[in-house]
Amino acid sequence: MSTEAGTGVKRRDFLKILGATGATTAVVGCSSEKVGKLIPYVVNPDNTVPGVSQYYATTCRECATACGVMAEVREGRPIKLDGNPEHPLSRGAICSTGLSALQGLYNPDRYRSPMVRQGNALTPITWDKAYELLAQKIGEVKSRGQAGSVVFINQHESGTFPGFLDQWLSAQGMPAHLSVDPLAPTATLAANQKAYGAAWPDLDFGAAKLIVSFGADFLDGWGHNVPQQLQWADARAKLEGAPRLVYVGARRSLTGLNADQWIAAKPGSDMAICAALTGQGTMAAASDSSGVSVAVLEALAKAIAEAGSGVMAICGVTTADAVDCGVMVAEINKRAGSVGTTIKPASAHGGYAGLSSYAEVITSMKKMADGSVPLAFVRGANPAHTTPKSAGSFAEAFAKVGFKVSFSSMPDETAQLSDLILPDNHWLESWGDAVSTVGQLGLQQPTLDPVFDTKSTGDVLLELAKKDQAIAASYNVADYRTWYISKYPGGAPAFTTALTKATVSVSPLVTATPRTLSVTAAAPAAGSGDFYVHVFPSPTLGDGRGANKPWLQELPDPVSKIAWQSWVEIHPSTAKKLGVKEGSHLTVETAGGSVTAPAYIYMGVRPDTVAIALGQGHTAYGRFAQNVGVNAFDLVVNGWDASGALALNGSLAKVTVLVDSSPLVTTEGSARQHGRGIGQAMTLAALLGQEAEDDHGHHPIPGMPSQDFRSGLKAPVAADAQGEFADPMSKDKGMYDADHVQKMEKRRWAMTIDLARCTGCSACVTACYSENNIPTVGAPYQGRALSPVKWDENPGANIIKGREMAWIRLERYYEGNENSENEFSSDFDTRFVPMMCQHCGNAPCEPVCPVYATYHSPDGLNVQVYNRCVGTRYCSNNCPYKVRYFNWFGYGEPERRQYAWPDPMHWALNPDVTVRGKGVMEKCTFCVQRIREAEHRARAEGREVKPDEFTVACAQACPSRAIVFGDAADENWTVSKLAYDRRAYHVFEELNTYTAVVYLKKVNYPAPALPAQA
Amino acid sequence: MQGVVAAFHEIDTTCAAIEDLKKKRLGDVTVYSPTIRHELEHAIDAPQSIVRRFTLIGGLLGVSFGYWVAIWSSNYWPLVVGGKAIASWIPYTIIGFEMMVLVGALSTVAGMFINSRIPRLTSTAGYDTRFSGGYFGIFVACDGAKAGQAEELLRQHGAVEVRREA
Amino acid sequence: MATIARPTRGVGIRGPNIASADVQLPAVESYEQVDREIIATLGFTKKWFMGLSVSVAAMLIGASAWIYQIYWGLGQAGYEPPVMWGNYIITFVFWVGIGHAGTLISAILFLFRAGFRTSIYRAAEAMTVFAVMTAGLFPIIHIGRPWKFFWLLPYPNWRLLFPNFKSPLVWDVFAISTYLTISTTFLYIGLIPDIAVLRDKETNPTRKRILAVLSLGWRNSDREWRHFAKAYLFLAAFSTPLVLSVHSVVSFDFAMALTPGWHASIFPPYFVAGAIFSGFAMVWTIAIPMRKWFKLEHYITLNHLDATAKVVLFTSLVVGCAYMIEFFIAWYSGVRAEQEFFWNRVFGQWWWAAWIMLLCNMALPMSLWSQKLRRNPTWLFILSLFINLGMWFERFVIVVPSLSHEFEPWQWGGYTPSWIDMSFLIGSFGWFFMWFLLFVKQLPVMAIAELKEIVAPRVKHGHNGGHH
Repeated sequence: MSTEAGTGVKRRDFLKILGATGATTAVVGCSSEKVGKLIPYVVNPDNTVPGVSQYYATTCRECATACGVMAEVREGRPIKLDGNPEHPLSRGAICSTGLSALQGLYNPDRYRSPMVRQGNALTPITWDKAYELLAQKIGEVKSRGQAGSVVFINQHESGTFPGFLDQWLSAQGMPAHLSVDPLAPTATLAANQKAYGAAWPDLDFGAAKLIVSFGADFLDGWGHNVPQQLQWADARAKLEGAPRLVYVGARRSLTGLNADQWIAAKPGSDMAICAALTGQGTMAAASDSSGVSVAVLEALAKAIAEAGSGVMAICGVTTADAVDCGVMVAEINKRAGSVGTTIKPASAHGGYAGLSSYAEVITSMKKMADGSVPLAFVRGANPAHTTPKSAGSFAEAFAKVGFKVSFSSMPDETAQLSDLILPDNHWLESWGDAVSTVGQLGLQQPTLDPVFDTKSTGDVLLELAKKDQAIAASYNVADYRTWYISKYPGGAPAFTTALTKATVSVSPLVTATPRTLSVTAAAPAAGSGDFYVHVFPSPTLGDGRGANKPWLQELPDPVSKIAWQSWVEIHPSTAKKLGVKEGSHLTVETAGGSVTAPAYIYMGVRPDTVAIALGQGHTAYGRFAQNVGVNAFDLVVNGWDASGALALNGSLAKVTVLVDSSPLVTTEGSARQHGRGIGQAMTLAALLGQEAEDDHGHHPIPGMPSQDFRSGLKAPVAADAQGEFADPMSKDKGMYDADHVQKMEKRRWAMTIDLARCTGCSACVTACYSENNIPTVGAPYQGRALSPVKWDENPGANIIKGREMAWIRLERYYEGNENSENEFSSDFDTRFVPMMCQHCGNAPCEPVCPVYATYHSPDGLNVQVYNRCVGTRYCSNNCPYKVRYFNWFGYGEPERRQYAWPDPMHWALNPDVTVRGKGVMEKCTFCVQRIREAEHRARAEGREVKPDEFTVACAQACPSRAIVFGDAADENWTVSKLAYDRRAYHVFEELNTYTAVVYLKKVNYPAPALPAQA
Repeated sequence: MQGVVAAFHEIDTTCAAIEDLKKKRLGDVTVYSPTIRHELEHAIDAPQSIVRRFTLIGGLLGVSFGYWVAIWSSNYWPLVVGGKAIASWIPYTIIGFEMMVLVGALSTVAGMFINSRIPRLTSTAGYDTRFSGGYFGIFVACDGAKAGQAEELLRQHGAVEVRREA
Repeated sequence: MATIARPTRGVGIRGPNIASADVQLPAVESYEQVDREIIATLGFTKKWFMGLSVSVAAMLIGASAWIYQIYWGLGQAGYEPPVMWGNYIITFVFWVGIGHAGTLISAILFLFRAGFRTSIYRAAEAMTVFAVMTAGLFPIIHIGRPWKFFWLLPYPNWRLLFPNFKSPLVWDVFAISTYLTISTTFLYIGLIPDIAVLRDKETNPTRKRILAVLSLGWRNSDREWRHFAKAYLFLAAFSTPLVLSVHSVVSFDFAMALTPGWHASIFPPYFVAGAIFSGFAMVWTIAIPMRKWFKLEHYITLNHLDATAKVVLFTSLVVGCAYMIEFFIAWYSGVRAEQEFFWNRVFGQWWWAAWIMLLCNMALPMSLWSQKLRRNPTWLFILSLFINLGMWFERFVIVVPSLSHEFEPWQWGGYTPSWIDMSFLIGSFGWFFMWFLLFVKQLPVMAIAELKEIVAPRVKHGHNGGHH
């Protein structure tokens, strides 16, 4: 591990300044790089080889899907999470949220020890003192006979722990805990339970012909993100037999943008539409309430009828009638007879089992407000942030509780209100399990010793139990792990073997107290106003739990491309009417409350609707979350559906335009590709050869390359270096010589990106941040100086200046619907283009570099030599793809305020990749560290690199398997086959750059529910 | 050094004096003038300056060095950039040109220094500060006997002042 | 030197539009007068001290900005990717451009025997040297790791790692450093006889000694003059193509890239014309006040200004023509990226910059068709300020809009210079004028020896100094 030595650096900086300003530059400043100390192991821990990664299989606990992950551990510290290829659901893929778990683990703002409230401040104490204090409090509560009214609010978990917890609570004579997840599709679960008898049946996209999604964003947060994406992408990759997708909803979510047709129905009108589709209502009525023409609805009905048992109707609406709506939607499937084919109750997911509802939380909150709660525990959940103001202030209610205990490891809003904090281990530090599909248990093992002085709640509960003579006997185990193994079928040996795969066919070892949903819907007050307000969970930050992780804050929202900010989506035509410009501040006011945020003009939202995402607006929760954006929960009007779930939507809002405005923290330049043919598409008919492919909108630059571009892939690096246009002067070709020992020249690393698969979810982006030590630059403290005395402290200040560092970015281009600011049309196409260094065969960036800091390696990589770079930035100017990123500040220098990895976040840095210094250019390297590692391993084992033996970080994470990497010069690699696909093209081919990245055209399908033209 | 130095105020008289002195062969004549005058050049009628040879040689050395360093260093460490030839001589022409100008010009200056014997920090016998101002000057290097004649001649030609340098 | 302007018979001012070849100085009678009046300019004055302190202060602003920037990183400047080049490169090209008039006047006009150069070339040459000194700083200020700038030089190192001679930036390094060396040499060589004059007039022994060393013991002997003349001729012969090459090479920084708006073969001539244009403007900015304050109106006469005005008018036409050709080619090429870029440059995002450029560089100089204005120092001075502004904006228009609107629409952006950028701009002027002011009080701003060539020498017998 390398630790920076402060003093030496300071001296150097001083000399640098002196040197560069004075005449002595050439003499001093020879090393601007960090001085590092290498601390070798005195005694090597077992099976740890410095510099070689170990992989621990465990289970991701960031959402209810419980994907299997592999933690890459280097010298005892996890440095990256990858999907576990063995896992039946996630199949080696992983999403941004999962990847970012590392930043939850290494978060600099975590509680570093137990804390107790003294006066207004929380002060550290020892665990023993904490135990005593809590044991005493519990004792008091029991002695007063109030144990029955103790409240334990836990983040929702599946698996064994909830059962363990309930056992403990009942042993203490306390009621079962509340298992809270504000993001869980509670209504859908209830509806499914009613309709199919399974809370979450498996959705088989492969079997589907027509998918009708009523506001279900199944590619980006609704349900089981990663597995759904994998299935969806595989199904769509069938091209001809691909399922078609109709998205019904007031706002076009990421799933909506991937849909073949968007039916922009008014919020809350889904019910009517379903009624019409199931013959329980008239088309006319549906049309009236939804604002969708009868023709379209009829066409939809027709399409459903044609699809027969291939129909998959899913419901993700969050209005007060959500449950009934869900049942109605299920009715569509039943009628189509698709239950069992596309909807598989037989193989259900168990991740949501034992979920409590919002209504229950409110009930216990009321109890707190009455002051009838003597003792409350909160773990993981953050009700102080996720409870709408309209339901009354949680803080006030919580304040009335006798003694408040938080197990949260982050200083979130709720924890900050508590009296005692017993920080829990991060899931990467603890033992446990989670349910994926029913009967499948994902095991979870620690990947390192706790970073801080924290303890897993299981152990804490055991300690407390031991302190109580009454129940000590029944908890006579060392710690939660021992307890767990003792319960595990087959005991320790079986458990140990199971850990290697981390997925076993076992049910939770103890079951939680079953919950009975007995709530009656309480519709939120509709309020007044001429706009519907559409509140939705942020794909990246969720309900706000992701906001403390800079990777997620920095990751642009897949739809709006906005980061580090809240925004209000408003349709261009409405914006024009109200005179709203991009970034003008809008105040949205509902019966629940009001928020003010800059406007984002988006043609994917109905003109009578404004949309705003949850996730921001934290008042605590660490340096990355605090005071960033606004909390959209403030807009939500208190009220719930028949399942007790918070009805996010269904109320009206007043929108007032304020005079002031602020720039959007967006990574988007132009949302149109101006016919530059970056994200190309072809119609299915064209693909099948039924119609001529029209190059609509693509204006190639005159002077197309004479050769077939693929020769750029096949041809070893530079024709000239090969002597094709032989250069008489050059005798020695060095590594470029075909006979050179390293044989590098035989390879041509390349990549294909299938736009028919890519959903734009952006997992690749976060994967790249994680693998390549890319600094995040948007934090409020990372801005530049606006004057000698004032620093720019707006969140995302650097991103407003276009200085984000994402080596791979996800471009989102719109096609069609040019007239959107005058009239609303739901018909436009979206192209998602992952754009990274294209590793051109004839790279424009290379010859312009005065110091050879970028050149072409014999195996086709466009190499960037950081410590040779002097930072002229000419390479970036000459790059048509604009994929080079410059280190404007010392993001890697701890003593600079822009430092991107405040201790201990730098523990997650990849030791194989340099942290780039101030003033150098960087860009995608095709994960050269992985290439070389594979080559070296192969050489060590005395063999050639096997085809598809390894891949790059983005490709490895990609949940839609759109990215394929490999050696295009060797036809045994998948990539070299794909590169010759009929849909293959290069971006800016006409510039003769011979890129190593081949894109496969997106395939556009006719809108399934298109009313027949008269 | 021995000789006679004379200061003239007018140019035509200076020229006349020079031509006369050359006829008389009294000794090497050095002419001082605040600036260049054709009249004087004609009168002195000295051989062509050889500075231009320095220029030529310097220029040739420069251009060949320019090409050489570019081509040699490219080949010494072959790195392919932008698919271009490792040693691509066409752009190297610029290097060649600039080096030609640099070396050529500097050697021209060197040529001038060498030929006109500067920098000199030695005694300035036979020089008078007026020669940089408004006066023309003639210095005849000769010893006692001829010196008299020289003085005589210079005075005839209307020298403002004649001085004997020992 | 070698007699470029012959003494002409008869006095009295010729008609205003005389062929520039024999611009003469009727008001200058004798060699002594030249010495007296030029040396008189060297005395220190209060005004001068004030000017110097202002310049030094401005220079210090720039210096401290640099320290600040090196400590924090380039992020303090206004860069807004994809606009990776900004104020520093703009200002670099601006000063290099200004640095062209000097050598053009002293070398090219020398070869063309343009007499009006005589009284302005010394000041112009000094201006050139200082302008290039200023320009040379900016590439270093601009790079991310200035303490590593020497990696651009082909110095021998143990890895034998040399710069990439295919890179226009390396061409720049060669062109600029050669240009600085040669123009400095040229300036100094021209100065030698004049320093000798100062030496001979100097009474203070210390100063006399220093001047003696600087004059290299020059004695005005026929041998010295003979080689001097030849050397000067060849230096001029070398400098002429050098001047043209330097700004061409600078233009390659842009023309060699495939960025829309940069990738144009017209750039070299266009840049050279622009450089001369801006150079002459700066000569006016300096010479017009100078001739007044130093009482040298009879050395830099209206005829001189008239002649320079004609050069400015011509180069303005060339530059304007280049602008038009750029637009035409953008349309004619049929490259959509190119067309959209130019539209955006002139009528879109950057219209204001583009129109400032067109107004100052194309429209206003047209006033010089009028002889009245050509001979009106006040107007020329005002115009020169506009031209300087316009030429700075020309470089802005070349650098920024092109980068902000390239092939990849997703990466289109904008640019606003920060207070740091502005400090450097101010600093550069401070640095430049500091050197110039120091120069004008130490060394003659007019070539004494050359002026004497124009002045008729005394003769005894009738015919007035004419030669055979």
